[in-house]
Amino acid sequence: MVVDSTARAIAAVQLDTPERCANAKVLFSGVSKCFGDGAGAVQALERMDIAIEKRDFLCVVGPSGCGKSTLLNILAGFEAPSSGQVTLDGRAVAAPGAERGVVFQQGALFTWMSVLDNVAFGPLARGKSNADAREIAGEYINLVGLSGFAERYPYELSGGMQQRVGIARALANEPEVLLMDEPFAALDQQTRELLQEEIKTIWQRTGKTILWITHSIEEALFLATHVLVMTARPGRIKASFASPFSRDPDPLVTTTPAFAEAKREILRLLRDESIAAQRQESSRG
Amino acid sequence: MAEADTQELAYTPARSKLPRTSESARVRVLTALSFAGMLAVWIVITGTPVTPPLVDPVFLPSPLSVVQTFMKLMRTGYQGETVLHHLLMSLMRFGIAFTFCIVAGVPVGLLMGMSRNVQALLDPPIEITRPIPKLALLPLFIIWFGIGELSKTIVIITALFPMISISAMQAVRGVSQRKIQAAYSLGASRWIVFRRVLLPASLPGIFTGIRVSIGIGVTMLVGAEMIATSDGIAWMALSAADFLLTDVVLVGVLLMAALGYGLDLLARLIERRLVHWSGKEN
Repeated sequence: MVVDSTARAIAAVQLDTPERCANAKVLFSGVSKCFGDGAGAVQALERMDIAIEKRDFLCVVGPSGCGKSTLLNILAGFEAPSSGQVTLDGRAVAAPGAERGVVFQQGALFTWMSVLDNVAFGPLARGKSNADAREIAGEYINLVGLSGFAERYPYELSGGMQQRVGIARALANEPEVLLMDEPFAALDQQTRELLQEEIKTIWQRTGKTILWITHSIEEALFLATHVLVMTARPGRIKASFASPFSRDPDPLVTTTPAFAEAKREILRLLRDESIAAQRQESSRG
Repeated sequence: MAEADTQELAYTPARSKLPRTSESARVRVLTALSFAGMLAVWIVITGTPVTPPLVDPVFLPSPLSVVQTFMKLMRTGYQGETVLHHLLMSLMRFGIAFTFCIVAGVPVGLLMGMSRNVQALLDPPIEITRPIPKLALLPLFIIWFGIGELSKTIVIITALFPMISISAMQAVRGVSQRKIQAAYSLGASRWIVFRRVLLPASLPGIFTGIRVSIGIGVTMLVGAEMIATSDGIAWMALSAADFLLTDVVLVGVLLMAALGYGLDLLARLIERRLVHWSGKEN
């Protein structure tokens, strides 16, 4: 499966080799998802086999409606697969749980709570005392660079700062796995790039296992150790790669020729799928 | 981790302060002009020192005589009771019905919004009674519950309950799925999700229902005090009409308007305190 990697910037790898499956932190085995039934049924995912090892940073890219968010929702426990199963450390995932922290695109903060109360929500819900929860929250608010904003409300913050709160809130539970559903999609380019760097630092420092959904190839290559390209609906694995750029200390690695080459490679794969997705959209009328 | 990028510091409103204040000043002037205009029309119709009244004072007394009647009523009362007594009686009838509807209607609405089963059970009685003009039920209530306070309270309740419970139901249904999912994935139990997410997130919608029902409730007072009463501010206006005491009728009407306005103002004040985030979701 490995293509000549000297000629290419990124190497194609298989994500469900026996070794990876044996080592997996998170394992999708034959996961399919179908919404609705009868004539109106929509096959969102088809037989997905993915092994995510500890400390992996897996970015999933795919055309709109390819089921990449469904993939995340199944691991989060928000949706059940129609067939197949997802396991975390060998145990089947059946419901949401604090060991899988989720960061949403936007609008998931508790608007009626201050930044501090938002971040302290998880520790409190898991039985920490009020004082402990507030102390933990304070640490993570500092970590994401929001010290001084603890008493503010989400609506008083910019979009980028709101996403920082969302990240701090998910981290405060010290989850083993972080699930990020296009967390920066609604942000402007500069803010997004800054936050990408910070996420990279957090990932390097904490060694979380991360599943990251994005429609930005650049974001995927910059952040991920592994990039998974999905097909148009029904979502299947089109290709998967190991990306060297996430370990590159240069924040401007995105401007190198190797990066451009890798981007071109994935863009080419994605283009056909996006055209197919467009055709599905228009045929649905 | 670096400090928060300074260029994305706290949110500032799109419009700057200066044009905003001058704009609100202009709005206030226009509002005052509107009130002054209405008063001027009233004065012209009822006559000024230099122009004769256009209508008989029996039909429309002048603002001055309405004020004088108000002062007189405040001193002597109406039909043996003080104006304050009438006002408090009306407030009490409204207050009991209103409190009941909030205490019972909000939980019922929340349950309907959270459970399809509860909704299937409770929706039919609410939906069936909704189109019935509630005042038409008053004679029936008097037969069932007598001519005392109970039937008056119940007729107001029948008007407010569906409104408050349905607004609570819709509010809880409208809570963003993402916030609920976020709470569960942070390890929250069902109870915590209800108490710390569903309930606060529904409050703005519940408040909208409450404020609408204040207006309806005050209107319902007129009907409730139409039959078998000898006190209340609506009764004062209604009975004064029998004697063509137009000035007393107008005092009663204005007092009811003030009551409704005051209650709405109070609700708005509580709303601003309690749901300060309302409408600020981006």
